[in-house]
Amino acid sequence: MKIEIKDYCIRCGICVGLYPELFAHNFEEDCIDVLKDPDTDELKQQARDAARDCAVTAIFLEK
Amino acid sequence: MNLTADIVIMGSGAAGYSAADAALQKGKTVVIFEKRPFQGGVANCAIQYIVVRNEKAYQDKAFHLLYEYGNYNGNPKVIRRYVDNSWRTREFIERLGVKMEVADAVPLEDLGAPERADGFPPAINVHGDDTHALGRGRGHGGALVGLYAMRDIIKRGGTYLLDTPLTDIKLDENGAVCEAIGVHNKTKEEVHVSCKAVIICAGGVQDDPEMIREHTGFTYTGKDAPNGGNVTFNCFPNTKQTGDGHKLAWKLGGAVGNISIEGHDMIPGPGIETSTAWITYNQFKIMTEQPYLWVNKRGERFFDESLSNNHISTCRGIRNQPDRVSYMIFDDDTRKHLEEKVDYFYFVFPAEKLTDVRGQFKDLIENWGNKHVFMADTLEEICAQAGISEEGLKKTIDRYNGFAASGVDEEFDKPAQYLRPVKKGPFYCMRIYCGGYNTIGGIRINGDMQVIKENFDPIPGLFAAGDNVLNELYGNPIIAGLGAAYFAMPLGFAAGDCASEYIDRL
Repeated sequence: MKIEIKDYCIRCGICVGLYPELFAHNFEEDCIDVLKDPDTDELKQQARDAARDCAVTAIFLEK
Repeated sequence: MNLTADIVIMGSGAAGYSAADAALQKGKTVVIFEKRPFQGGVANCAIQYIVVRNEKAYQDKAFHLLYEYGNYNGNPKVIRRYVDNSWRTREFIERLGVKMEVADAVPLEDLGAPERADGFPPAINVHGDDTHALGRGRGHGGALVGLYAMRDIIKRGGTYLLDTPLTDIKLDENGAVCEAIGVHNKTKEEVHVSCKAVIICAGGVQDDPEMIREHTGFTYTGKDAPNGGNVTFNCFPNTKQTGDGHKLAWKLGGAVGNISIEGHDMIPGPGIETSTAWITYNQFKIMTEQPYLWVNKRGERFFDESLSNNHISTCRGIRNQPDRVSYMIFDDDTRKHLEEKVDYFYFVFPAEKLTDVRGQFKDLIENWGNKHVFMADTLEEICAQAGISEEGLKKTIDRYNGFAASGVDEEFDKPAQYLRPVKKGPFYCMRIYCGGYNTIGGIRINGDMQVIKENFDPIPGLFAAGDNVLNELYGNPIIAGLGAAYFAMPLGFAAGDCASEYIDRL
């Protein structure tokens, strides 16, 4: 599974706050970094939850 | 890159997209410069929209409420612009397809009613229908408004230049606006837009500590409060609101307006601020809402603590104390009480009762290393750790416990149910500073939303709206107020109208 973050992400940090294993603020580049591809069932579920929790539907998952 | 547009808008937040909507409705072409790589500004954080109904009597009453709130210190023409354009906020948001829910429909006769104010000043929170934009996921509706507004404005022919700060505005030989210049952050390509008007909607100065110090007298703590300071902010991290609009307006001769920190009292430091304004690590934000004993460094009470969920009033009280700092103190009986029921419910982080208060203090102190909360068996230890005068606090608590026993607050008339004595250790203490989501004010405008000079002459073609002109709504200087998308949007519509009418007159 791969995580894609669309350009219109508002960098609010919901995903960073709730799923810090997968997401981090990158203040220098002014973006959210995806830290790794979800490779366990737990992380895959977190990625799905992050997509659900996103304020602007900016998180997309590719199988 | 060279472009041409009737109107250039600086900033794609609530005032910016509303100005664009109004200008497009009047047949004008628009270009929006946005310094961030994405849309919406701090209005992405918005949830609540107070909406003044489009009825003359209703608008009149809202006008009088706001004018009186600023002690008649605001510009009544700007206040009028706000109340008369407020209805367009809901119309625009719903047109975009974002659902609005009326949390409190306030009839004309109840405008300004304190019992509907949820702790806020009634003039601010009860001058219209309390309406919420419904978000998706864990976000607030304002985030969807910003995104959908961008898509709508582009569809209608508007241009968004993202990641491109507006860096300069040129005037022609008559002193009128003729060009806006920006530079793309990454490619460094310059963008020149030949235009007839610019509307500055660039928000606050919260990420410029020097401007905060110079214009408000506060020192920004930074997110983790590493170097002291006495003001903190709780919007999204790194909003990059550095007063760019203020600096351009002033450079072109615009008068310097008052800048104020809006009110939202907070404990600073690690473990309090998450990566977003929308989620919390713990329940400290609910604790600081509660109406128990608050003191200053001298150990003295300084306000009627039943106002503690009125963030604006609380911050004004704190601002007037030594070092602009306050402390909230409660004992172990009150800790138990909080675990059964909170006195003040906070709609942003709803909880009827708190869980394991002692554990939360321990976690914040030991695991997060936060230096602004304290837990100790004796008041002496609390005073030593927190820097409160032991003599002053003991004197205050003796008297306060007497008020609790008699049920009468002889000092500030706080209602008896909130007079909880401070007797039994362990004791809990939180250091609380002023704070806010943003700063407000700084650019002077007239009733036609035009940026004005010291002599009140307008700069032809230069307009402003949003947080950066709220000194005209609340008064210049601002005594107390808050920034909100619901103030920014109507002022944006008004600026879009006024700039369009200015162009029509050329």
